[in-house]
This record gives sequence, structure tokens and C-alpha cells, in this order.
Amino acid sequence: MNLNTAKNFIVRNAFLCAAAIVMTSCGTATINKTGSDAQIEGLRSFHLAFIDEFAVPRKRFNAAAFEARVNEGNTKFQQTIANEKFTARRPVLIDLKAQFDADAAHLRSKASHGKVTPALATEMKKDVNKIYDHALGR
Amino acid sequence: MPSDDKPKRKKPRKKSELDSALDQVGDESVVAATKEFQDLLAQAKGDTTELIRQNAEELERRLILLKQRKIDKEDFDYFVENQKRDLRVFIDSQPAQAQERAEKLTLHLLGMAATKIAPLLLAMI
Repeated sequence: MNLNTAKNFIVRNAFLCAAAIVMTSCGTATINKTGSDAQIEGLRSFHLAFIDEFAVPRKRFNAAAFEARVNEGNTKFQQTIANEKFTARRPVLIDLKAQFDADAAHLRSKASHGKVTPALATEMKKDVNKIYDHALGR
Repeated sequence: MPSDDKPKRKKPRKKSELDSALDQVGDESVVAATKEFQDLLAQAKGDTTELIRQNAEELERRLILLKQRKIDKEDFDYFVENQKRDLRVFIDSQPAQAQERAEKLTLHLLGMAATKIAPLLLAMI
């Protein structure tokens, strides 16, 4: 093998390695993002179900059940934030947790005073869906 | 062409349920604020930016829900605060020269709705 052929061989292999690294990392990012999207969808379902459970006009407020559900939500959000591999998503998850906290505080105040209005659940869910859609870049 | 000779009249804006309610305001001290709000709302609803338009439509819908007592003032204020949080990110991402206009058609509009229009609608019930 002369010097030129050897050089070409090294350059070609280096290029192939670089291309393989780029392709693999893109694949990993896609997998991470897909998994992260699924986590966010899971949080959305929980958040919507929470509103459906407690934003019901004239329903007797069960403080213990309410706090249990809030604690369950807090754990879910904290775990998702801690396990998030797609680091760019962490601030978004923190924003979603802040929305959950705000919704829980609003619902606690309304439901405990028997002041849940007829359109509250629909309107809250509308805002929740909007913020999750933004979080998913839709 | 004959049609070009006719003076062009501006097509009157179709009155919404909210406009009809606000037009009943007789108190001189609030008429100016109500008019300013209606003009801003119409401007926002016709804006080319989707988020500004959506915010205006959503705001109008919720003012109607408030008037119909399907939500109360507490709920209304809560939704306004949610909306403001969401819009702040959008405004900050706009070019500096567009920020003032975007702020006027979103945050200022929401502020007026919460402090002037909502109490007015509740007093009319």
C-alpha cells in the first residue's frame, strides 16, 4: 500500500466513523424524545382526570381524597422530572408541574367552599390541553 | 366602471353577544373604557398573529361565560393569570419593535377585561 492509498483509507474510515456517530446520536435523541413525549402525555392524562374528579359542581368535597390525589400528582411530576433524559425538556416539565400546582390550589379553594361553577372543568381542561400542546411543540 | 364611482362604505362589524351587552352601558364614566376595550378586542381578533387572535377569541368567550354565570370572577381571574403567563413567553420572543403592540393586544387587553369589563358585566346581571 503506498502512502496516498493509506491516507485515503484513514480519511475514509474516519469519515464513516463520524457519520455513524452522528446517525446513532440522532437515533438516540429520537428515541429519547419519543419516550419523553409519552411521559408528557401520561402527565396530561393524569392532570385532566384530576380536574374531572374534583371540578364537579355540588359534589361534596373529600379533603383526604383530594390531598391523596395531589400527592400522587406531585410524585408523578417529580419522578418524571428526575428521570427525564432529554435535558431540554426539564424546564418544560417544571412549567407543567407549576400549572398542576396552580390548578390544585384553585380547585382546592373552589371545591372546599362548594363554589365549583358549571363550566370550570371544561375551561380548566382547555387551558391544560393548551399548555401540554405547547410543551410538546404543537 | 360604474361600481368604482360609488363611494366605498366600510362594512359595519357584526355585533357579538359581548358587544351587545357592553353597548347597554349607560354610565358616562365607563363608556370610554368600554369603547376602548371593544376597539382593542376587535383589533386583536383581526390580527394576523394566531396567538393574539386566539387570546382575544378566548377572552371574549370567557367574558360571555362570566356574564352567563357559568364561571365566576374568581375563575375568570384565574384564567386571565394563566393566559398572561403563557403570553409573556410569546411576547418576550417577539422582536423589540413588535413587543409593544403585542403587549397592548394581549396583556393590556386581559388586564382591562379583568379590572374594568368583568366587574361591569357582573354589575349588569
